[in-house]
Amino acid sequence: MKNKIKVYRAMYDLTQEDLAKAIGVTRQTILAIEKGKYVPSLDLAFRISRHFKVNIEEVFTYEDEVRTADKD
Amino acid sequence: MKKNIFYLIIGFVALALLAIFWYSVETFTPVLSMIAFVIGVVIIYVSYRRVDDFIEDERSARITEKAALRTFQVFWVCFCAFSIMAVMNLLYMPHLSRELRFDRQSMPLSVEIMSPRMIGYVQLGLLCLMIFLYVGFRFYYARKYGEWETDEE
Repeated sequence: MKNKIKVYRAMYDLTQEDLAKAIGVTRQTILAIEKGKYVPSLDLAFRISRHFKVNIEEVFTYEDEVRTADKD
Repeated sequence: MKKNIFYLIIGFVALALLAIFWYSVETFTPVLSMIAFVIGVVIIYVSYRRVDDFIEDERSARITEKAALRTFQVFWVCFCAFSIMAVMNLLYMPHLSRELRFDRQSMPLSVEIMSPRMIGYVQLGLLCLMIFLYVGFRFYYARKYGEWETDEE
């Protein structure tokens, strides 16, 4: 799952801390999502995209690949 | 309540439990340490609910959930394997063997597999293993989900 959170943050001039506070998560979670270390739930993905007033597909892109991240 | 006060309470509870455990071993009152353990867990849980500067989001909940699940998966295998051996020990007792109509006289050996004291030591070891496993898995999943990632912001 790729995302453009960093781009949208730059557009809205938001720090990770600002975005985290606005959607009720920790700064580490925003950082982990941006770096692709953590795939957010559908609920959180919607909250992030609604914060930027765009559709979810514009922020998150699903890549059709073999998922191995959750196997361990 | 602040987070640091909560950590202090955990420390005090741990110290009190250690002292009570030592006292109950000295006086051979296991019920005392059992009750103290339950009360200690309740105190920690109530304190945790009152902390207001803890931010727990879905990522931290997932780290806790995964670490607990993996700990449980490893622990129950170890615990069951050990329990099978302990049950064997129990079934080998003479009064049980008579009830179950086993002919123990024809058995080549009549020794215990493990003494009750040793069973206690192994259980103590398993409890310690559970704590270390949980801490280990927590570190592993925290790292996997980017807990200590650096920021170039």
